[in-house]
Amino acid sequence: MRDVYVAGIGITTFTRLEYPLSEIASYASMMALKDAGVTEVDQLYVANMGAPRVNHQTALASAVADSLSLLPAGAAAIENGPASGAAAIKAGFQAVASGMDDVVLVAGVERMREVNNLEATDFVATLTHPLTEYIYGVTLPAHAAMFTRLYMEKYGVTERHLAMVGVKNQNAALNNEWAHLQQEISMEGILDSPEAMTNNPYVAEPLRFFDACPVSDGGAAIILVSEEKAKELGRPMIRLSGIGQATDTHAVFEREEPTDLLAVRKAAKDAFEMSGLTPEDIDVAELHDAFTILEIAESEEVGFFPKGEGHTALEKGETALGGKIPINVGGGLKGRGHPVGATGVAQAWEIVTQLRGDGGKRQVEGAKTGLSLNFGGFGNNVVCLTYVRED
Amino acid sequence: MAREIYAYKCRLCGTMHYPFRMVCKGCKQNDFFEFDTVPLPKSGKLLTFTRVYNLPAQYEVATLGLGIVELENGMRMLGQLEIDEPTIGMAVKGSVEVVRKETYDDYYGMVFTAA
Repeated sequence: MRDVYVAGIGITTFTRLEYPLSEIASYASMMALKDAGVTEVDQLYVANMGAPRVNHQTALASAVADSLSLLPAGAAAIENGPASGAAAIKAGFQAVASGMDDVVLVAGVERMREVNNLEATDFVATLTHPLTEYIYGVTLPAHAAMFTRLYMEKYGVTERHLAMVGVKNQNAALNNEWAHLQQEISMEGILDSPEAMTNNPYVAEPLRFFDACPVSDGGAAIILVSEEKAKELGRPMIRLSGIGQATDTHAVFEREEPTDLLAVRKAAKDAFEMSGLTPEDIDVAELHDAFTILEIAESEEVGFFPKGEGHTALEKGETALGGKIPINVGGGLKGRGHPVGATGVAQAWEIVTQLRGDGGKRQVEGAKTGLSLNFGGFGNNVVCLTYVRED
Repeated sequence: MAREIYAYKCRLCGTMHYPFRMVCKGCKQNDFFEFDTVPLPKSGKLLTFTRVYNLPAQYEVATLGLGIVELENGMRMLGQLEIDEPTIGMAVKGSVEVVRKETYDDYYGMVFTAA
């Protein structure tokens, strides 16, 4: 297997975007191609979850290939729920590692604001089990809420811990010009003041409005290349050193221990094994905080903290910029936004930005290794990636 | 006749499934629909719950109670809750009712109340 490097990155502002879906993907891709210094690719993968349903468009990758004048490169769209982005990166990795391709563009894109919030919620809920979950009106916030209640009962996580994650990540987004939410929030405003419960109502008890990521439009892209090509292009040598992917039961209620996220655990374990790294070696991490509880639970499942101790590490500031393992310094899904198909690629964009030392105010000092975790379904399809800066 | 929701029992190894699977998760040998249907019990205890405030477009109610229940036989299912103040571990009993209405279809599922 050949080594694979990230030679270019690009992103759009995450917000409400009034552009056609393929143009959003193409814009991020143009930036990535320019950043890498290439005008041709062997293959492109476009990660997207909702184009056929939300945007009334199919065969998205063909549209993007033509829009970018990349013909006759191979092109395919990858739909893997909210883990589409990292699944597409895995496909790109395999294409380069196998020796089949030397330069692969991986773009992720979603345009969810084309429909109203209720329809967007329903669109995401279609990933649940059709006959035993979806028909009951289950939404992703509902799944996260039931999971949160168990976490509270078992480990002593409180609404205060959840709010702390929300404040940390949303305020981190102020240091990321591409992030969706550019509004500072405080514990006072969302938890402690008499107005807090009006500012921050329940979405699904015990989860509140500021526990959930926004519904966003946006695109992100990276260029994956072989070692030889990476040296030729002369960009910082950032190697995609490990990939793990795992699945879990479709119906969430079937899981033996409902507070475990076994697919997260397995994906991270495999990525660490492949890269020869341990959780202690990671300098900066992007975790999939679609809901605040997920950052806490995932920080345990990937191995940064023992099970049940993620919230105490958070209290000590260990996951903040300057802490032991800074998590979601670019805002995470909570602050940057969560255009579902784009998220896994946007996480890679943030880690590469950090490993290049281009993080500006949010830079993790001297970061050489990174990890990103893209969580699909309610934990039933998870991809973990590790990155190492080599030069 | 009271409506039922069914679990699926593998005729080769006896593993119970809910939801249905095409291949048995126990023996992985059964791949020709060799399952017997077994009605799920309707009593159990509440494992976790929520009240949802932003429902998908089709719903005409303001909020919806949802919970995961461990049934008497140890199997679990998700259902709607009609319980004012649910608590973890409380005893519940279910009945099969319409849980979702679409233009041409009614979907039936389990609705739990306090036992």
